[in-house]
Amino acid sequence: MVAAELIVTDLAFGLMLGCVFSVVAHGLNMIWGVVKVVNIAHGEFIMLGAYGAYFLNLFAGLTPLETAPVDAAIGLLVGYAFYYAFLHRELRNKETITLQSEMVTLAATFGLSLFISNLAIILFTGNPVGVNYNPGTLQFGYLHVPIAALYVAITSVLIITGTWLFLERTFIGSAIRAYAQDVTATELIGANPAKVASLATALGFAVTMAGGALLTVWIPVGINPLMGALYAPISFVIVVLGGPGKMWGSLVGGLTLGVVIDLLQAFTTAQISYVAAFLILIPVLVFRPEGLLKR
Amino acid sequence: MPILQADKISKNFGGVQALRDVSFELPESAVMGLIGPNGSGKSTLLNIIAGLEKLTSGIVKLDSRRIDNLRANRVVGYGLAKTHQIPKPFSNMTARENVAVAVLYGRRNIHSPSSALQEAERTLSLVGMGLRKDAPAGSLTVQEKKRLELARVIATGASVLLLDEVFAGLSPEELKDSIQLFKKLHEELGFSALVVEHVMRAVLNLSHEVIVLEEGQVIATGSPDEVVHNDKVIEAYLGSKNSAA
Amino acid sequence: MIEKPGPTLYGLFIVMALLAVAALLLGVAVSSILLLLLIYAALAYSINFITGMIGYVDFGHVLFMAIGSYALATLVSYYGANPLLGVGLGALLGLVFALGIGLVILRFRGVYFAIATVVLVLAAYNLVLQFPQFGPGGEIIFNLTFQPLATYFTIWTIVLIEIVLTYYVNKSRIGFGIRAIKNEEDAASSVGVGPQTLKLTGYMLGGLFGGAAGAVYAWSISGVTAGPAFDFTFSLLMLAMIIIGGVGTSIGPLLGAVVVYIPSYFLLTTVAQAQPLIIGLLVIIMALFLPDGIVGLLRRSNEHLRLVLE
Repeated sequence: MVAAELIVTDLAFGLMLGCVFSVVAHGLNMIWGVVKVVNIAHGEFIMLGAYGAYFLNLFAGLTPLETAPVDAAIGLLVGYAFYYAFLHRELRNKETITLQSEMVTLAATFGLSLFISNLAIILFTGNPVGVNYNPGTLQFGYLHVPIAALYVAITSVLIITGTWLFLERTFIGSAIRAYAQDVTATELIGANPAKVASLATALGFAVTMAGGALLTVWIPVGINPLMGALYAPISFVIVVLGGPGKMWGSLVGGLTLGVVIDLLQAFTTAQISYVAAFLILIPVLVFRPEGLLKR
Repeated sequence: MPILQADKISKNFGGVQALRDVSFELPESAVMGLIGPNGSGKSTLLNIIAGLEKLTSGIVKLDSRRIDNLRANRVVGYGLAKTHQIPKPFSNMTARENVAVAVLYGRRNIHSPSSALQEAERTLSLVGMGLRKDAPAGSLTVQEKKRLELARVIATGASVLLLDEVFAGLSPEELKDSIQLFKKLHEELGFSALVVEHVMRAVLNLSHEVIVLEEGQVIATGSPDEVVHNDKVIEAYLGSKNSAA
Repeated sequence: MIEKPGPTLYGLFIVMALLAVAALLLGVAVSSILLLLLIYAALAYSINFITGMIGYVDFGHVLFMAIGSYALATLVSYYGANPLLGVGLGALLGLVFALGIGLVILRFRGVYFAIATVVLVLAAYNLVLQFPQFGPGGEIIFNLTFQPLATYFTIWTIVLIEIVLTYYVNKSRIGFGIRAIKNEEDAASSVGVGPQTLKLTGYMLGGLFGGAAGAVYAWSISGVTAGPAFDFTFSLLMLAMIIIGGVGTSIGPLLGAVVVYIPSYFLLTTVAQAQPLIIGLLVIIMALFLPDGIVGLLRRSNEHLRLVLE
């Protein structure tokens, strides 16, 4: 019976981890799906969100759950700034993103990624830090579930559901969805493309940074300036698995990856488990580039 | 022997039947118009013939050679080239360089860039774009871009041209000029063409034969005159039983 | 069908001649500085083939550098081979890996290709750490007699070959096809260009010369370590060089190498993070405001320069 218990425990942890992975990738998914831009510096903003949780915990005693909305607010501002600095010129007056624009944004965000991470090393030093947040564990039979992980998983799912509701049920949300399908159509429904795109980007960053805060629960000694290098590829793989632009794809991809990584870690080192998970990307791109979700 | 033969082309997009058993023959040096209401599958048909999309079943023969399993660039090598509905110029290259690419990679066996550029210049003059040969393609007007598309496919040396709405969005004056130009080119160069069009004046003026698609199926073929008076065609377009005299 | 070379090529030959003379006359201190500059230039020309010309952003180009470094380090350290053999092996392996990888990932659209290259570097890095043959922490060190001129002229030759190749590819039929793909990949195939072959060729050339440059780099520092060998900072430097110089051009990579290298040389003595920080900033600014680089800027500013610079 022990093997079964192990598997169930692994599965439970994998799913909870997967939920956090989902929200961490969700911001990338939103931006990629709407403005069709891939932010190579995505990992760095996760890192900044995590550091936000660390500092707010250090100086104001806030838990990661409480930091998340603060990070989200900061993320909104950062997102708007990012849109106007990097994307506005490339996207306005264009029906779709050209190959040249793609190269420009890829290169620029790559530069941004290295800029932010190295700046972080200088400012925060390379020493890994962590947030102490442990409200205890719940016991379900043999299953010991840390309450922190549970809260964070629930919050993650709420965030994803919330964005879905926003996109489906509000006018501006449908404007965003319209923009994602056809930029010129956005004007037809009376929305301003620049406003729509900038809002989508801002929301994406808000979710990303909130995700970074929530993530800290899983990495008690892992907050460091270079953590973006791990969570960016994770996010990319999740978005590709779920299909860029498909909002529930973040959850599907995230849960899949969370479970796979957790199960793999039962057999090999953490490093290999991550690498194996990343390599899943290649066959998916070869055989099903539109993602695993149908439709 | 018809230069282009389509035999029961069908295309299925995950449940949506875009084309069903479409068959036709294009005689050499003929111009065939392909018309039909929006969504009838005209663009899909062109894409399949040109090798840009795969058909679900059916055969396409170019000069008796099967091309339905070939990719677009190979199809060009055998002598069939298609323009784009929304022009796709190589924006950062001049008009002449755009056409030179077609000369170098078509079926003409010209591999020297300098010869290709000369040939490109000639082709541009043919379509009336001689003066704009050094303009960056991205800065051309829509009509010029359409002319560039035409120049490019001609420059590949293709004997069969697939033209996707080259007459769309033109003013009456521009339309008249374009129709004249096409007639002149056809006379001089003798290509065969399958022309997808919404602009009836162009189709009726230029086609020897017209084929009508509705919801992925051929509902009529014949001379332009016959087709225009065909009840089924009128109903497809207007949805009514009244025929315009 | 070899056209007469234009002023650009002659200009580049003159620069290379100067670099050769400088090494021979000015002593070891100068030639060591110039050595690293030439390695940077070689790397820039190598990424130029796939990213500059074809437009596929290869974030993982450092992979080929690492392959070359490990090839040379292994050959020299375990088999006592002549380092030139190491360079040859590095080039060969770079080519072969590029072929194998390229066949799979070049079909992806640009963004997916870029991400795939990142994933591959991460995988390779972790793989190397798993195998003790690659030394503890992937570190292989060797002891060679110091032959500054041999190293120097090896990389000098590599850069020269790259310059000539870049120049003639741009002028040739292949150059037209490459530019067509970079502008509008779909339209390119509708006029007969076969994108797969050209993309693969570019990627393989990138792998070949990236491997060669990586091998010389390992030669110059007498070893290789996994962490630095797979460091994305190299990719950033390579991208920075061609973006600053002018993507796809013949002059661009060399020009970019000079612009990036000279300050880097001095920055490295300060905070270690200063180099990627400033280069990152430079890349952002160039990518957003001057995507066709210094060469592009010069060509747009003056009609005469437009015809001469390439």
